[in-house]
Amino acid sequence: MNLPRRFLCVITDERACPVELATMALDGGARMVQLRRKTASGRELYEWAVRIQELCRQREAMFIVNDRLDIALAMHADGVHLGQQDLPAKIARALLGPEAIIGVSVSTPAEAENAGRDGANYIGVGHIFPTFSKDKPSPPLGMASINPIGKAAGLPVIAIGGIETGNIREVMKAGASGIAVISAVCGADHPAAAARELVNKIWQ
Amino acid sequence: MMVVSSGGEHLLHNGLALLQADAMALSGPVIYQLREKGLEAGALYALCRQIAPIIKSSGSLFMVNERFDIALASGAQGVHLPESSCPVDSIRKAAPGLITGQSVHGPASALTSEKAGIDYLLFGPVFSTPSKEPFGPPQGLEALREVCRSVSIPVFAVGGITPDRACACIENGAYGVAALGSFLDAGTLPETVNRFRSFIPS
Repeated sequence: MNLPRRFLCVITDERACPVELATMALDGGARMVQLRRKTASGRELYEWAVRIQELCRQREAMFIVNDRLDIALAMHADGVHLGQQDLPAKIARALLGPEAIIGVSVSTPAEAENAGRDGANYIGVGHIFPTFSKDKPSPPLGMASINPIGKAAGLPVIAIGGIETGNIREVMKAGASGIAVISAVCGADHPAAAARELVNKIWQ
Repeated sequence: MMVVSSGGEHLLHNGLALLQADAMALSGPVIYQLREKGLEAGALYALCRQIAPIIKSSGSLFMVNERFDIALASGAQGVHLPESSCPVDSIRKAAPGLITGQSVHGPASALTSEKAGIDYLLFGPVFSTPSKEPFGPPQGLEALREVCRSVSIPVFAVGGITPDRACACIENGAYGVAALGSFLDAGTLPETVNRFRSFIPS
């Protein structure tokens, strides 16, 4: 599966039912949904994943599971997103096959290079700006990191971390292919409207 | 006999699993279930790859808890599923070569698991356990008997299992017993396995 040229990825969080969040994100024009729930049981994840995958298929959007390759394999997700503490991308590639989308979170050129070698399709680069969505002891990477890290991987960059309508244009100009958000959509009063506004900015 | 890894309650759980794997060369074959919920997938995979060949060369069976992807990637023989795992048939389809076991907490879920094609069950806790965390309140030998009667696949009893209690579990229909706390000292693992065996009628 090819990645779209410019797109919004919405990552679900603990605030609401992931299926509802996914529906609203897709309504707002997100082209990728990532299911990320660290404390849910395998059964819960599987059931959410099956429903979100169906929603994504209907709208020709991509669905990926964070970390849990087992869930992705069991319900035939479009792909997985892996952090540096998760399984190596080459293992995911071997088990999911050549068609699956595999994303890897990186924050240095060396990690990016590994992701490229391991058969990833894109890299998630962040956090770009200060963020409260995750406990991040490290300082933000800044927009200037996007281009060199993307080049080291030879892959499209999805920028993440503190991205909002006010800074999207600069982030896209700095070389990002996509934007991933958690709070900007999941924490909004109207997630679909928030997603739509982000998508509009991505294309401006 | 099933040995369950320490589950991260032990400070050196990574090292402990390695020592346990080494000790299996002396204990004779057991089923080893690696259950380390505290480990991130990357570290769990690295540990599995390290211990899988050691465990297999001892003739033991290596089961990874829940993550059948990691079982597949590391060369483990099977996956042990919690009761709230993703559907068994989806796992059997995605990983047809793996042995699948599942934890159950009553006859109804035992029957469901058997019908779904699970190879063995783990039922408990039969007795009260010092580490209540994994398995909930004790269910007793009566409940064990009921579960064993309701299915024809092997049932392992777990929860507060000591060598002298193993016999009662077998008499109540269990195929084998599983323990965690008895194996926290890897140095005595072979002798503890033998003590268990001496209490299990053959």
